[in-house]
Amino acid sequence: MAVQIVMDHTGDSRYPFNPNDAQAVAKAEKRFHELTGIGFTAAVRSASGEVSQVRSFDPTAEETLFFPRLVGG
Amino acid sequence: MFPVRRFTSQAGVWGAEAVRKLYRSLVAQITKEARGRRLLREWLSPHQRAQFDDKDYFEVVGCDSQKRYRIYDRKLYAPNVHEVDDAGQFKVAWCFLPAGRLAAGDIMLAQKIALETNEDSALAVAKRFAPRPDLMATTRR
Repeated sequence: MAVQIVMDHTGDSRYPFNPNDAQAVAKAEKRFHELTGIGFTAAVRSASGEVSQVRSFDPTAEETLFFPRLVGG
Repeated sequence: MFPVRRFTSQAGVWGAEAVRKLYRSLVAQITKEARGRRLLREWLSPHQRAQFDDKDYFEVVGCDSQKRYRIYDRKLYAPNVHEVDDAGQFKVAWCFLPAGRLAAGDIMLAQKIALETNEDSALAVAKRFAPRPDLMATTRR
């Protein structure tokens, strides 16, 4: 199972999906574009723990984390 | 007697409801913060996790400048991102965070990812401050 984690006011919301299920993947891809479209940053991490930003949907990513756009404090 | 008893009973209902509301609010807050902390710990490198467990901060290296930043516990300090030199001295404090009311752990995680993957963009929106003298004193341990 892959999961999309979206930071929000509850801490985070998790959306697991089966990467072998075309319908679930399509839904996850739609969520990816909706979130990045409104300014969320998407990030993934490798097995070694290295973090990178992603700008296109990767259905093979085990975990994709989304956080809202950054603002000056 | 009856009206008084009825009033007392009604006050009891209001009190119980207030306690329930307070309890729900506290549980939600604890849960939100706890979830933010858990997510942060999951995404920290082993070295950063050990650092954060031992101190109130962990360090990241900016992907563009290779500068070192210390991200302090957001619950305790704001601004919580400090640029440090090779000697561990603070050079400048930066304040940037993800929009919305997020848990402290979520904020620190977003700051880490931003500096490690898109440092210039993060600093472009950040506000710059003089380092906090009190923080400098507490971290010279």
